[in-house]
Amino acid sequence: MDSVTSPVIACWWANRPLATKGLVVVAVPLLIFLGSVAALYAISRMEARAEQDVRLTIAIQNDVNEVHALLAEASSGVRGYLLTSEPRFLEPYKRAETLVPQVTARLRGAIRDDEAATRLARIETLAGQKREGLALLLAARARTGADVVGDPAIAAGLAANKQVLDAVRDEIEAMQARERELLAARQDRLDGVRRNGLIATGLLTLVGLVGSLFAVFLFSSGIVRRVQRLESDAVLLAQGEALEARSAEGDEIGSLAGRMVEASRLLRARERALREGEERFRLVIEGVRDYGIFALDPDGKVVSWNTGAQRIKGWTGEEALGRHFSMFYPGDDAHKRSMRNLADAVRDGRTEDEGWRVRKDGSRFWANVVITALHDETGALRGFSKVTRDITERRRAQEALELARQEAEQASAAKSLFLSRMSHELRTPLNAILGFAQLLELERSHAGQADHASIQQILRAGRHLLALIDEVLDIARIEAGKLGLSIMPTSLETIVTEAVGLSLPEAESRHITIVSEAGKLSPVAVDPRRLLQVLLNLLSNAIKYNHHGGTVTVMAHDVGERVRVEVIDSGIGIEPEQAGQLFQPFTRLAAGAARTEGTGLGLSLSRALVEAMDGEIGYMPRADTQGGACFWFELPLAQTPTSPGPLTPRAVPAAPAGPREATILLVEDNLANAQLIEAVVARHLPQARLISAMQARIGLDLALRHRPDLVLLDLHLPDKDGDWVLAELQASLPEIPVILLTADAIAAQDEWAAHGASAVLTKPIDVPALMVAMNTMLQERTS
Amino acid sequence: MIAGQSARDARILAIDDEPANLALVEAVLVREGYSHIETLSDPRRAVERHLAFRPDLVLLDLMMPSIDGYALLDSLGRLTMTGELLPIMVLTADTSIEAKRRALALGARDIVTKPFDVFEFGLRVANLIELRLMFKATRPNFRFD
Repeated sequence: MDSVTSPVIACWWANRPLATKGLVVVAVPLLIFLGSVAALYAISRMEARAEQDVRLTIAIQNDVNEVHALLAEASSGVRGYLLTSEPRFLEPYKRAETLVPQVTARLRGAIRDDEAATRLARIETLAGQKREGLALLLAARARTGADVVGDPAIAAGLAANKQVLDAVRDEIEAMQARERELLAARQDRLDGVRRNGLIATGLLTLVGLVGSLFAVFLFSSGIVRRVQRLESDAVLLAQGEALEARSAEGDEIGSLAGRMVEASRLLRARERALREGEERFRLVIEGVRDYGIFALDPDGKVVSWNTGAQRIKGWTGEEALGRHFSMFYPGDDAHKRSMRNLADAVRDGRTEDEGWRVRKDGSRFWANVVITALHDETGALRGFSKVTRDITERRRAQEALELARQEAEQASAAKSLFLSRMSHELRTPLNAILGFAQLLELERSHAGQADHASIQQILRAGRHLLALIDEVLDIARIEAGKLGLSIMPTSLETIVTEAVGLSLPEAESRHITIVSEAGKLSPVAVDPRRLLQVLLNLLSNAIKYNHHGGTVTVMAHDVGERVRVEVIDSGIGIEPEQAGQLFQPFTRLAAGAARTEGTGLGLSLSRALVEAMDGEIGYMPRADTQGGACFWFELPLAQTPTSPGPLTPRAVPAAPAGPREATILLVEDNLANAQLIEAVVARHLPQARLISAMQARIGLDLALRHRPDLVLLDLHLPDKDGDWVLAELQASLPEIPVILLTADAIAAQDEWAAHGASAVLTKPIDVPALMVAMNTMLQERTS
Repeated sequence: MIAGQSARDARILAIDDEPANLALVEAVLVREGYSHIETLSDPRRAVERHLAFRPDLVLLDLMMPSIDGYALLDSLGRLTMTGELLPIMVLTADTSIEAKRRALALGARDIVTKPFDVFEFGLRVANLIELRLMFKATRPNFRFD
């Protein structure tokens, strides 16, 4: 079709909808068939008409012959009549008289040919003349009677009739000839029509055939072939092949082809996306180096492999694929164990295992393996995924850690044993040395003066050695973590008070004054015994390295989350370049070494103790220009400031209702009494603030600064007597009630009342009496 | 002193592997006036001597090379009959709190750390002797032999 029609028409045809095409394909042969039928009908019509013409012509000829015969018979009859006068000879004449007009009238209606019509008209005329002639003859006969032969008129009439009849005969013959011509012509035409009809039928049949073929061709080229192509496209599509984009025709098949191409494109795009996704996923899995990730089929054969698996196990993908994964298991029962793992995975969904696995080269590694059973949506087992990690290093590290821990524990145990041994080995000989020296000293009446001095030397050196041993062992214990600190919330004031109290004899022997400026402080988290040890050491140093009659000041205050304690002396101080060595063991600075006793371990032990209690210790030159040293340490605050101190008795009766939030100043140098009163206050007036001072001047300063609600005043104080404090208080703060504490059993209450005391309590202090007195005073004060 | 038996007559068994310390203990005890003192430097013979000597007080060193002092302490404790009070004083150079706890838990009545103050040692010995004599006095029917 493409070759025989122009592309425009082809295009137009291709773009018609299928309905149109179907219509065309059906209509073309139908139209051709209808045309053929019509043509055949027309031909048969023409043939019929031609036959009619022939029949008509024959009828006309017959009629013409009849007219001729009638006239001839009439003529003969008339003549016979004339001759015989028998009426029976007139029969033909009479018949002619009725029939001729009928026949001529019929002829007139039938004849269409002009020449024949003209001749008919003449024949009619001649026939009329003939009948008239016959009528005249008959009339003449009637006049003349029976003898007619001789009658001239009749003879003339006969002759005329004869002429008319001849003329009629001529005309009829001419007309016959004409009609014969016409008949021949019509016969010819009929033949022609018949021949043409035959040809036309043949042609139409041919055209119909061609048209049908053409329609089939159209159908085939336009639809069948394209449907076939579409089908092959569909096959390609089903196979996932790409379809070529063709110029899509405008009909349904064309659009279907277009859709299929589109679908193919879409399919390919999706396939590509899917493939890219899979590729990415595969790359990710394959690229993982730290984990061996591979898949097994349900029988345990390797079906995928990644870089990590290759790295960990040593097999390449080509080597591993298709092989059973039991090859990774060491030992003879590898297959059994591997299949047991698979069975576990099937039963539980997944199984995790740790153990030795074997590499391609036969070396072993400690693996962590997770096997997960993979099921499809129908629940059928499709295989397993297996993730393997080489945790040999981790295991080694764990083993090393465990070993190190065991070693550390052993070392720790060994240290403990060593410390215990050391303690024993060093102390045991000292026992004999010091013991016998003591015995000798007891017997000194028997010994000479020189011996006595020697015994003193032994005792002093032995005690020094003992202190040294104790401190060395303490330091060693701290370093070994064997000190066994009992950290608890502790009242720092209590410790400071106790340390100052214990240091007083040594200070007094050197005429050194100790000033304590520890106010109310938050509890600290320390081991109170060890804190006391530190404080005593610092105080001892401050006393030892002081000048005669100097002072030692202990200050304490909160610094954020810590409490800072400073021990300041008025000695010669420490050279800056030596300050760095202060906390080193056995460092005894040249300045004091010559004339002072000490182990040389005190500061390093103090540092170790403070640091073991999460504190910090240090030295700084005294802030003012008076010289001297300042040792300080800071300690962390206790998290829950509950217990006022470890020395608080727990079993004191429940607190009675009493004044709260009062401030009480205690001026008392006796540590035991101070602790007792602290405990009483903490227990019975838990919200009261207790400030304590151990010396008269400090007590007075604190009273002026804090303006307490109550003062508890000991009468015997190291620097000035209590009555001096009482007088000063009366002068500046007369409204504050004062309870006097005295060891003098015969103290006159009235006399002290005159001096301004609100109450006097004798030592040992009666706790209920003290509580009653304090409650009374504070209630009076607050009301 | 308790009537019926003088404290000075009390029988004291001192066990220590260090002869110098044994000598010191003996010297101190003699000076305090005790007369029935038995010293033993070989702790392996402790049980034997204990049974033979029938002391009123045992002074025991805990750290000895040939025997575990704690085991010995335990053994000596078991030699004491049910209901009897026979004080054992532990003498040790180990100042650690663990050593003290352990010794007391095993039945020691007192612990003195070495080197000790001879006065303190004498007083503590006297205390334990007094305790022993009181026990004896309150339980006259107890068979001590």
